[in-house]
Amino acid sequence: MSIAALNSANLNAGQKVAVKYFTVAMVLFFAQCLFGMLAGLQYLQPDFLYNVLDFNVNRMVHINAMVVWMLFGFIGSVYWLVEDESGTELVGAKLANVNFWILTLAVTVVVLVYLFVQTGPGTKETIWFINEGREYIEAPRWADFGIVACVLIFFYNVAATFMKGKWSGISGVLVLDLVALAGLYLAGMFYTTNISMDQHWWWWVIHLWVEATWEVLVGCIMAWGLMKTLGARRKIVTTWLYIEVALMFGSGILGLGHHYFWIGTPEYWFTIGGFFSALEPIPLVAMVVHAVYDSGTHNFRNSNHPALAWLIAHAFGNFFGAGVWGFMHTLPQINLYTHGTQWTASHGHLAFFGAYATIIIAMIYIAVQKWRGDVWMSGDLADKGWKWKWSLGLLNVGVVGMTVALLISGYEQSFVERALEGSTWGGYFSAQTQPWFIQGMHWRMLFGWVTTAGVVLLLWDLATIGKKETRRAIDPTVTPATT
Amino acid sequence: MADTPWWASEDVWRKWAIWVTAFMAVVLIFLTFDTVAKITAGGERVPGYDVINKRIFYTFNADRNMQEPVIGGDAPLFGKMLSAGEAEELVNLGKLTVQAKNCMNCHTLLGNGAYYAPDLTKAWLDPAWGAESVREQLMVSFLMDPATNARTYGTGRRMPQLDITEDEAKGIVAFLKWMSSIDTNGFPKGFTPIRQEESS
Amino acid sequence: MIDPVAISNILAAAVAGALVIMFGAIYALLFAFSRLKQRPVLMIWAYLAYAVLVVAVGVLSITLNMRGFWQAVAVVMVVGYFVAPRLIWNLCAGTHSTEPGDGLGTVRHS
Repeated sequence: MSIAALNSANLNAGQKVAVKYFTVAMVLFFAQCLFGMLAGLQYLQPDFLYNVLDFNVNRMVHINAMVVWMLFGFIGSVYWLVEDESGTELVGAKLANVNFWILTLAVTVVVLVYLFVQTGPGTKETIWFINEGREYIEAPRWADFGIVACVLIFFYNVAATFMKGKWSGISGVLVLDLVALAGLYLAGMFYTTNISMDQHWWWWVIHLWVEATWEVLVGCIMAWGLMKTLGARRKIVTTWLYIEVALMFGSGILGLGHHYFWIGTPEYWFTIGGFFSALEPIPLVAMVVHAVYDSGTHNFRNSNHPALAWLIAHAFGNFFGAGVWGFMHTLPQINLYTHGTQWTASHGHLAFFGAYATIIIAMIYIAVQKWRGDVWMSGDLADKGWKWKWSLGLLNVGVVGMTVALLISGYEQSFVERALEGSTWGGYFSAQTQPWFIQGMHWRMLFGWVTTAGVVLLLWDLATIGKKETRRAIDPTVTPATT
Repeated sequence: MADTPWWASEDVWRKWAIWVTAFMAVVLIFLTFDTVAKITAGGERVPGYDVINKRIFYTFNADRNMQEPVIGGDAPLFGKMLSAGEAEELVNLGKLTVQAKNCMNCHTLLGNGAYYAPDLTKAWLDPAWGAESVREQLMVSFLMDPATNARTYGTGRRMPQLDITEDEAKGIVAFLKWMSSIDTNGFPKGFTPIRQEESS
Repeated sequence: MIDPVAISNILAAAVAGALVIMFGAIYALLFAFSRLKQRPVLMIWAYLAYAVLVVAVGVLSITLNMRGFWQAVAVVMVVGYFVAPRLIWNLCAGTHSTEPGDGLGTVRHS
């Protein structure tokens, strides 16, 4: 008899909620690619869907789908580990379910309004009910309140569960980080006429999420994952989580300064932004050294090859996307040319994928394995694991390809528009019509197809991997992990 | 087996994590108070909204090694001097419209947004409008009917029809004029402004 | 105050910035492997990687017209990237010292 059917009986109450979040996350990942493809196509065929589904709508859905699927992935991951880490049952399983459906319904309504209403008159009502028109946080104000309410319920559920059960270093960092993450969102929930003030607080949300609190959240998930999948020792993992928090927040909080060069904010941000940007790669160096150290001290047995492969993709993607692509153009002397060009798009694609998409996908592979009753997911899979290997390959090649293509276009853009033609509209369009730029856009489109093929294959694999498996997974925590 | 040295202990690093985070947060809060004061409209870096009554032009400041906006004599927008309150109301309508029409997912403002259409930071000063005397009317006509008035410079990209009313269009123009007066530390690089007919 | 990069140096500056980070990591990687495997020859390669980093920082500071404060940032990078892997390695050894069979001593002979 096959042991490998998807069976909720294999999951605890928190994990049952988690797999719902993961499912929606993957649907939104596909939507992100779909709308990214439409927007990318409009660079090549500007009349495509003109006045029907314009670039601004497609691009908004593209980036919003990404933010929401990553948040769903994080929430799912936290629900996944909360019972295990607290040693007790989730306090509000029913509440968590209701909360999931409300949040999912709200996201659906927001997207439908984006697609079918799109824009409104220049009034506060538009901002409350249609679209806030602020990149990444376009969700209308009613949805902002809905999101905050849902996140607070989620937070209550997690914190109360730890309170009922037991606290640990990991759960302590996790809960404090969630408070900061939710609190920072408030900085994006007000309207002001003053565009400098608007952008100043907007960066509090965007930067302090993406380059600080999200990173620490991922750190917590990783810490738990290392104990569970590789049998790493709690004391060491916790110490390293603290080290990581010190390095991340130590460099990341004031790293905010590198967004304050050109938006009307004072010149002292050059100094602060430049200095802390130079420090931001230090946590990455720490991870490199520590990974090597661990490889020598342990002889790990891994029970989930796709998850481990995605974790390796995370390490590389985070390093190149956030580290190399970030530092390449972060100092103000060069950022003056690259700010607001396709350089940013290049950096954004690789960094979001490398730092966040990869680790959530790894987490979902871990979830699928348990959902199917701890099936075998090491080497030697029935179909040689071609689906996960190809989807991993296609997604990584696709995103790296898009990143390089956008970088070439971005370099051409900053050179022609900014350096040669005096940053005018004429200069902008002149840059947009140069062969190097246009070819970059064609290559981006091609690699967009590769990426989308990877996503389709990934979804297929997640739905089927281990289905016909009859072997149980090896348990890395039972077999002694050290030599 | 050896004891964990004190500098590598969990306890010490918990304290470091807390103190480093708290210290950085406190520094950020102090800087935020200062920055918010400096970017409040009406200050040196971000002028008050009634700057739309004035002529705005752009010059190179050798001491700062960057270009900066300079506020000149009277040049009322749409031929009408506005009180501080009226000016703010008009700029506010423009900002609301910019958000309501989702401009930022094609354009960049202060360099932030999307890269499908040109940056709007210095749109008011852009040479694309030909001459200072005709630009405000050209801008209003363009915004109200971008499909017909589109100049795509060979890209084929046209701004979509966004049903912008005349009042909203005037608001946007006021907002763009005000935004061009913000001191952006020389961004965008080496900007060549519209032919400046006088430099009062 | 900043002095923006000259037009002809944009590419050099961007490449130098990328190389600083990449060779910072390669140095860290080789350094760690050399200590782990007790292979002094790897340490030579590590220092060669570090030398590339120093050159890249030099190119960066010239192309970005760094003076005053910015030169101090360049120095902090040169020094910081040199000591960071050492400090992190010691931290690894320190935090792992209570693990059975897993302190540096056993690793070195495994």
